Amino acid sequence: MSTLESNVDALLPELLAAFGPSGRESGVRRALRKALRGLGTLSEDATGNLRLHRPGRGPRLLLATPMDAAGVIVTRVDASGLGRVTLLGTRAPVELVGSTVVFEDGRKALLGYDRGPGSKNGADLEADQLFLETGLGKKGEREFPVGSVGAIEDRPARLGEFWCGANIEGRAGCAAVVAALRAARSSRYDLHVVFAAQSGLGARGATTGAFGIDPELAVVVDVAHIEGRETAGIAVGKGPCLGLKESGYVAHPEALALLKRAASAARVKTQWLIREHEGTDARAIRAARIGVPTALVAIPARRSGAAFSLAHARDITQTAALVAKLLAGVPAKGGSR
Amino acid sequence: MIAPPFDDALLGRLSEASGVSGGEDAVRRILIDDVRDHVDTLEIDALGSLVARISPAAPRSPRSKGSRRSRRGPHVLLCAHMDEVGLMVFAIEKDGRLRVRRVGGIDQRILVGQVFRVGASGLRGVLGALPPHLVSRPEREKVISIEDMYLDIGASTREEAERHVAVGDYACFDTAYEKWGSTRKGKAFDDRVGCTVLASLVKKRPPVPVTAVWSVQEEVGLRGAGAAARRANADVAIVLEGTASGEAPGASPGESAPLMGGGPALTVQDRTLMADARLVDLLERTGKERKIPTQWKRPGVGGTDAGRISLSGAGIPSAVVSVACRYIHAPAAYLDVRDPQRVTALVWHTLESLRKEWT
Repeated sequence: MSTLESNVDALLPELLAAFGPSGRESGVRRALRKALRGLGTLSEDATGNLRLHRPGRGPRLLLATPMDAAGVIVTRVDASGLGRVTLLGTRAPVELVGSTVVFEDGRKALLGYDRGPGSKNGADLEADQLFLETGLGKKGEREFPVGSVGAIEDRPARLGEFWCGANIEGRAGCAAVVAALRAARSSRYDLHVVFAAQSGLGARGATTGAFGIDPELAVVVDVAHIEGRETAGIAVGKGPCLGLKESGYVAHPEALALLKRAASAARVKTQWLIREHEGTDARAIRAARIGVPTALVAIPARRSGAAFSLAHARDITQTAALVAKLLAGVPAKGGSR
Repeated sequence: MIAPPFDDALLGRLSEASGVSGGEDAVRRILIDDVRDHVDTLEIDALGSLVARISPAAPRSPRSKGSRRSRRGPHVLLCAHMDEVGLMVFAIEKDGRLRVRRVGGIDQRILVGQVFRVGASGLRGVLGALPPHLVSRPEREKVISIEDMYLDIGASTREEAERHVAVGDYACFDTAYEKWGSTRKGKAFDDRVGCTVLASLVKKRPPVPVTAVWSVQEEVGLRGAGAAARRANADVAIVLEGTASGEAPGASPGESAPLMGGGPALTVQDRTLMADARLVDLLERTGKERKIPTQWKRPGVGGTDAGRISLSGAGIPSAVVSVACRYIHAPAAYLDVRDPQRVTALVWHTLESLRKEWT
């Protein structure tokens, strides 16, 4: 456990801070390539997925986790140096107010918003009320042309037992998967790992990635934000969640049983994830080609109300432990062989 | 090589043809006649899309297999959709009036009083509603819903109407194609202008292997393109579109892009697509090198066949090049004919660049 823990602690800050808004994941691909050195054969596909292959004689297993993060695209910048943006991903505009936007070459700008008359302090904020302060006046238009893609700058922090960052949703799963790959070097599967691009735009990378690999079995590692009545029974810090049902997805019984056995073999306590309105890449992968038996393990996280979320360090480590046990091989049905 | 000319006359014929989503036959027939002698294979796929394959001319001097392969360049999917927004007859009233529903996105504010061509015979009808003096004052201020309109073909009984029209018939806007200087007026420029650019390109054998798809049912959910792309299994895709220009009195300068007459409009992102960054860069660079002005389509809005194509199979790097038209999805649109000429040239030269440098 301690190796997993130190691996996650070393990986996560760098992954959180890497540039990688949906569709422009170059920075996080680079960070992952470095972290994955020596763990398998790496490749990229047309959608921008980073893939790792570790050949084995067993069934073809797809292990998938998203790697993209929230971002903005400049729609115009006027002569005062103020710009308008459209959002990449599903974050509520109000969460992004006050965030620093960083562009691939390191340029920065600030996201503010028009507090119109009668505004309810931002609760009803629409994306077209956000503005980008470039600080450049007239030169802004040339420096930030229409179509420039920026990411929300993350300044990850460790607060007690919690990891706190703007990109927890896209990167905590990556850290857990990399740590698991380092821990379980021998695999009984023909293992394909997809660090999926454009997940925040509707599981686009998972769609093409799963088609390309044509797996016999898939496990999705993701983050689930706990909020509202639906997920009120889940606690951050009480272990990884096994996905039973979410929007467009129900767990495949055999794939789920495999995860359960991996959890019990790794002595990891789990919780159940059941939700109607949100979903992960599991939905796209289970429907790939003629269908793929798919299971989901999700790291629970809390939203702060602003750009960052909070995940418990132990939940991430235990997710890694569970996945590592799965890759190393778990006892077959019946348990005690 | 010099880029092919844009076929203005073909745009006129295609614009006047009826082709509401799912009923693209007339448009397809015109395209078949136009391109059949210029392509290697031509077929209609299961959903109705017209699919042509064209290989580049064989190099003059025999070369080793390897070098010829590398010179052929990537297999490029070029796609434009044949269908347009319109109406469908869903019931015929006792008094001979037709009840209709919209096919694709049409703004209800522009419908009342418009003349439509109904069914295969092209019979004309007016979209009517209660006149203002029979409507209460508050109701008069509201947009009339399509459910309160009817298509009037002049029949006075159901039996009379049924002699000319059947439930399920399509109705399209009745608009003549006209030329005023470099301006062209007509219906369905979204996406007959793309269809015409695509035909203009394939009639001069392109420099790379091309699968040309004139797709069906784009306006009702990008349906035809996904299936065609899956079969074509291309390396790269470029979608040719007619898109909305933004200029109008009261529009702020920043909101009005792209502009009619402003050159090919390139997409970075829309609701369905993150355009492939390398491909967008190549299009922009080719425009600069060839002195073809380009402009950016406003990010965040709209969606095209490219969304579906980019996610087909294991994924295809995709981009969209559009002609900015005023008043799309309405009875009459305008475009500046220099724009599709420039789109034709830009895509042609981009195909040449793809052959040289795409890996």
